[in-house]
This record gives sequence, C-alpha cells and structure tokens, in this order.
Amino acid sequence: MAKKDAGLARTARLLDLVPYLTTHQGIAISELAKTFNTTVKEITDDLNTLWMCGLPGYTPLELIDLEFESGFVSIRNAETLSAPRALDRAEALSIYMGLDLLSAELSDSSQSLAVEISNLQDQLRTQLISAPQVQIEASFKSEFRALILRAIRRRGWLEITYHSAANDQVAKRNVAPYELSQSGSHEYLQGYCDSAKSIRNFRADRIVEVIEIDDQVWPSNQVSGNDEAIKYEIKVHASSRQVLEVLPQVTAGSATATIEGFSAHWISRAILSLAGQVEATEPKEIRAAVHARAKAALQNYH
Amino acid sequence: MSRKNERLVNLTIALLATKRYLTKNEIFRNIEGYEGSTEAKERMFERDKDDLRKLGIQIEVGGLDPLFDDEAGYRIRPESYALSLRDLTPTQVTLLSLAAQAWQDAAFTDLSQQALRKLTSIGLDTDSSQLPVMAPKLVGADENLRCALDALTSLTTIEFDYLNIQGVTQRRQLQVYGVQARQSHWYLIGLDTEKNAIRNFRVDRIQGDVSTSGKAQSYVIPPSFEILELEPAIETPIAVLQVRPGAGYQLRRMATTVETADDWDLLEVPVFDLDFITSLILWHGEDVIVSSPPQLRNAVMIALEKLVNIHG
Repeated sequence: MAKKDAGLARTARLLDLVPYLTTHQGIAISELAKTFNTTVKEITDDLNTLWMCGLPGYTPLELIDLEFESGFVSIRNAETLSAPRALDRAEALSIYMGLDLLSAELSDSSQSLAVEISNLQDQLRTQLISAPQVQIEASFKSEFRALILRAIRRRGWLEITYHSAANDQVAKRNVAPYELSQSGSHEYLQGYCDSAKSIRNFRADRIVEVIEIDDQVWPSNQVSGNDEAIKYEIKVHASSRQVLEVLPQVTAGSATATIEGFSAHWISRAILSLAGQVEATEPKEIRAAVHARAKAALQNYH
Repeated sequence: MSRKNERLVNLTIALLATKRYLTKNEIFRNIEGYEGSTEAKERMFERDKDDLRKLGIQIEVGGLDPLFDDEAGYRIRPESYALSLRDLTPTQVTLLSLAAQAWQDAAFTDLSQQALRKLTSIGLDTDSSQLPVMAPKLVGADENLRCALDALTSLTTIEFDYLNIQGVTQRRQLQVYGVQARQSHWYLIGLDTEKNAIRNFRVDRIQGDVSTSGKAQSYVIPPSFEILELEPAIETPIAVLQVRPGAGYQLRRMATTVETADDWDLLEVPVFDLDFITSLILWHGEDVIVSSPPQLRNAVMIALEKLVNIHG
C-alpha cells in the first residue's frame, strides 16, 4: 500500500483502537498514545469521535460505550469492531519475509519451530494475491545482535571474534560496545577496543563470535581513534561499477582521485582486487607495495 | 475531517453488523452523516467506499433482488474484515511479533508498528521460552525497497535508473516476481520488460527513486518462477586453489573441502560468479595460487601481469 493520507490514517487508527482497547481494558491514555505513536490530544480526540459511533439508531444502546475521564480507558458495546483488522498485503508480505529470516536462523536449532514458522507462512500466503518468491538470509546472527544490544544497555564488555579483511586474520578482542548503527547496506558496531586502545568500527557481518565477559572496568576516558588517515592518489583506467563500489570516493568518469584510507594493507589489497582498473600513484610506498605483491603472486605461477 | 471519520466508522460498523446486503437508500436513511441532496449523498458514498477499500477493507456488492427494483446492496463480511490468523499459540504470536519487529527501521517503521498493534490486539500472551535470545533485523531496507515491495503486492511495474557493470546508469523497467536478501544486500528479481528476460537487480545499485509505471494488476508471476538457490549443484564449476596455511579466511569459509599441508593447503571452492572470485583471489595476493580451472587461472595471471606492468 502506498502512503495513506492523514485523514485515512486517522480512520484506520479509529478502527484499530477498538480491538486494541477491547483486549487492553483500563490502559492509561498516555500509554495508548505511545502505542499508536501519537499525542495524548490526538488520542483523546479519537476517543471522543469513537464515542459518537455505533450501530444505526445511535441511541446509548447502540453507541460504543467508552469511559476515559479518569485517564484510563475502558470500552464496552463495541463487539462489531472488536476483532483486529486483517493485515493488509504489505503487512502480510513484510511479516512473511520476517518469518523467512527467522526460519533461516532457527531451523538448525529447532525442527518444531521451523514447522510452526512454515505453518504461519502458509496462512499469510493466502492473503497475498499471488505468491511472490522470497529468500531472506541474515547478514549477521540476531543472537549476536541481541547480545551486543544488551551489553550496550548494561555497559558490559564483550569478547568479539572478528575477521579483518585488511589483515586476512581472525582474532579475538575485548570491546566495550557503544553503538550499533547502519550505514548503507551494512551494520557497524562502534566501541572501545582494548587491543587497539582506541575506538574502532567493526562491520557486523564480519563478527564471527560474541561472548559476554565480566569484571572489566568500563573505559573512563573515551580515546578517539589515533590512527592517522592515509591519503593516497590513484589513476582510474576504468570507472566500472566495481571500482565505484570498492572506492566510493571515485566519481564516475574522472581520471584520477585522491582518497583517504585507514590501513595500508586494505588499500593495497583493494587495488590488487581491482585487477588493474586503477593504478596507485602516490605515495610511493603504496605503489611499491602493490607492485611487490602482484609480482610475488605472479612468480607463484612460474 | 472528524465528521467524515465518524461517518466512515459508522459505515464500517453498519456494513459489518448486517446479515444481509444494505441498499444505498437504507444506508442514507440509517447511517449518520449522509446529508444534502441525493446527488451529494451519492458522491459522498462513492468516496467513502473508495476510502475503505484503500484501507484494505473489502466491500461486497450483491443482493440484486428483482423484488426490490434491482438495487445493489452492500456489506462487509466479518471473516474478510478480521485478522484471519486463528488459534495462534503464544509461541506463534512471539514469532509473528519478532518477524514484524525485524522491519522496525527507517522506511518500514509505520508498517511494522501497525502490524504489531494488530497482533497485540489479539490479546494473547507471548511466549519466548522456546526461542533463543534474538534481535532480528533486516538491514538496509530503504524507501526503494518499500516501493518495490508495494509494487510486488499490487503487481505494478516499476522503473528506475540502475548502475550497470560498466559503471553507466541505465533506465530499467521491471515486473517484480520476488525478493532476496543475500550477503548484506537486497535483490529484486523479475522480468526486465525491455530485455524480456529474468534479471536480478541489487537495490543499492538503484540511482535515485523507484517509481511505478502503469496500473496495478498489470502482470502475473509465472507459477513456474523460482529463485535459484545458491547451493553448489553438480554443474557448478569448482575452483581448486592452493592457499597458504593461516591465510585466505574468506576463501576457506566458501570452500567445500580443505586439505591441509605444510606449504600450501588445497581448497575446493564453488564458482558462482567468476568476476567475484577473481577479485577475491587477487585480494589475497601471493597467498593464493589458482590450480584450475584454466579460465580462472588465466584471468588471475592476466590481472597480475597488468598490475605489475602499470605499477612498475
């Protein structure tokens, strides 16, 4: 469903309030406003409107009976609307896809949960006009995400096993997690790394294992990264999509680019992986490193 | 606005409560809010029906009884109005809620919250005791994905500018058949109407906004359509790689077999995408040698020669 206009969104809210109130008798107006993502004033207006609604005849016998003067809401005489509304197609599809994500993660550990999920998916399928094909794979174990979020809340340390693509190494490090954030297609964990003694960003999909650890003092003065950015220059021989994606600082069609990186290993590997579509020009050390690695690799074949 | 909302709610109640079809005259006479001339009421009613349909409420038209001047009647069937997920167990409610929560982000927040409210309105307790601790999340679900999924549910063709492999932007038209989240990226799969062939598009390679083109229900998803599984099949080519012990972590994760030795370990890696595997091998520099197939071995050697030449 496309974005609904404000008036219709209000009608939807009025209809959805009735079943919600039916199963949440005595809920505080303020909590109700929070659940429906709106203000107390709006919700009060809604309740005043609903109070005028009912079956034809519109005598007290037919009208919805609402009480909310005390600040807590109770509802009676609203049986006609008391069942929650059907999921619309977009909701049904999104839940269907969400279940696919869960199923990918849970099916290994529990056969019975996998069966429950597929039953629910079958029920949702009937609400979609045609059966779209869906395949959802998690980029990052949601169990790890739950552990990280909990550690952020509790200010607790984690031992993280991390794959560094720049160093082609998998290593354990103790991290005090600050934040889990998204940038583009990826999710990143930012935290104080005890091995590096500074703040580091970790790409979530390269985290191999997360373990909660105790008895470590939360870092008091949060030292910002003390790594010097490395400025390097390249010649672009082909600005293909791969080049633009590996080095987003390159603009399509330009012959040269000046780029900042943080790891000399990463830079030379990235240039190797681009197979000669770009050429490292400055500084000399990076140019020499690319040359040396390519030459060594080539010698393996002779 | 409030009068109109009131009328729409009253209309919904009346059409849900009735056991038979209500004629327009009955509706105008009995439901509060229909005022003015007959024409004005008719216009009001037409708009109201449209609005309720936009909310996904199905109004059934019928009851053409010759005894009553052939006048059409209207009703809403409670079974089509109400959430059809029945007899849910607390564990199932938890699973559905987790599935909705996975979308609680950026472009999908309102959708996810509305679905969650409907699920909570069932009034069942949740039970997560059978589930591991988890915080599922669908990362990178942006406005363009939302637009594409809306198009998929309504079978509307979409259009967008797409960055092709040469790094050039091209306009594409797509009938979306399916959607895939793989290796941290979203893919739309469907019929590229210009090429008249099934194509994949990575959502973050779309430049600018996705827009719809044409009407809803303008295509059907062929029943035979299936997203191909990225599981090694018999016909998938296998690369045989020599990898230095301790190196090549990513390649080892993809490998189907690993034979360890002193100087070089021997890996067998399925090749789904020759360009991708070539880049990954180059990334590892002198730590990897391609033994076979010759096509991959040559691609890597040519790339290395080029790298040596331009950096020499």
